[in-house]
Amino acid sequence: MEALLTVEASDYSPNMVSIAEPGHAEEAGWITQAQQADTQAFESLYRMHVDKVYGLCLRMTGNVSEAEDCTQETFIQAWNKLNKFRSESAFGTWLHRIAVNTVLGRMRKSKRERDRIQVVADTAFSPVSVADTGELRDLSDAVDRLPEGARHVFVLYAVYGYSHDEAGRMLGIAAGTSKAQLHRARRLLAQQLEKEGFDA
Amino acid sequence: MNDEDRNDELITAAGALATEISPERDLWPGIAESIEQPRRSRWIPMLAQAAVVVLLIGASSGVTFLAMKDDQQPVQIATPNLIFEQASFGGSNALGPEYFEVRSDIVAQLEEDLARMSPETRTEVENNLVLIRNAIAEINTALEAEPTNVLLQDLLLRTYQDELAVMHRVGGLTQRVMSRQDI
Repeated sequence: MEALLTVEASDYSPNMVSIAEPGHAEEAGWITQAQQADTQAFESLYRMHVDKVYGLCLRMTGNVSEAEDCTQETFIQAWNKLNKFRSESAFGTWLHRIAVNTVLGRMRKSKRERDRIQVVADTAFSPVSVADTGELRDLSDAVDRLPEGARHVFVLYAVYGYSHDEAGRMLGIAAGTSKAQLHRARRLLAQQLEKEGFDA
Repeated sequence: MNDEDRNDELITAAGALATEISPERDLWPGIAESIEQPRRSRWIPMLAQAAVVVLLIGASSGVTFLAMKDDQQPVQIATPNLIFEQASFGGSNALGPEYFEVRSDIVAQLEEDLARMSPETRTEVENNLVLIRNAIAEINTALEAEPTNVLLQDLLLRTYQDELAVMHRVGGLTQRVMSRQDI
């Protein structure tokens, strides 16, 4: 695991996602080619990582249209910043960072988040839960209804396995704030799921 | 089940949520369209800036060399034929009247200064000023396409300032030459 994903014992989350998957020897070559403005190589990188980036964007925004925009913006920014990528972290982790920044930037600029909450409240199930099965759909719906700050921390920490330090760095908040948001998210989720009769 | 167990189970359950989700449509065409566009807005200012720097160095060096070389040559009178165009910032901004007043004075002085120079020096100065003004025209053209580009506006302003500096420098050189000849 890359240094950026190193976790403290107290922060350990059992669901740590391996962003740098083994067996992708071609990736390094594609990165080098893409850094020399080879768009075909960059498309290969896109194909390799799009599901991870879109998954994160969808979990964080809870909206298909926003997630699609964020995913495209993430890869466009990655293309523009590709020469700054130095392999100090895994390429997937680097993309995740850009994706989180993109989501946060778009949410700051846009008032669509408020509209999104309204839309989600009126929808029988969230688009995010389509990817999950069984009782996980209830959990996915509940996560999607969390307030923005709590949702972002919960998604990065509990779903993607980042430590509080790492999640805080990505979100621009202190690790302590990340812990507080996770506590809030847990409490709200527990209330929501209990009300709906969910038995974890 | 107590709250703590519930919380732990929540985190465990969240770890089973899908982390890789395929978008419902192919997002690549939109990305490809963006990244394959020529980066015009980046290159025009960079090229224009590089051109101005090269021209200024060349103009300054040429004027200095020729003026010093002409120290002992007889002064000849000639009619200047430089054409000065009104400055603009892509139509949305314009230089103020104070600039034109100062520039008008310097241009009048330049005409007198050029008249004191040898034909070779005068031609060199005029050629260099034409090159600088061509650079100004190119930046103005770029500004017409991107009138709000702050970098271009700044570049244009600095190029005008550099043009004034070169003209002023010509005046200083001719005064030095005249003083020596007078002595």
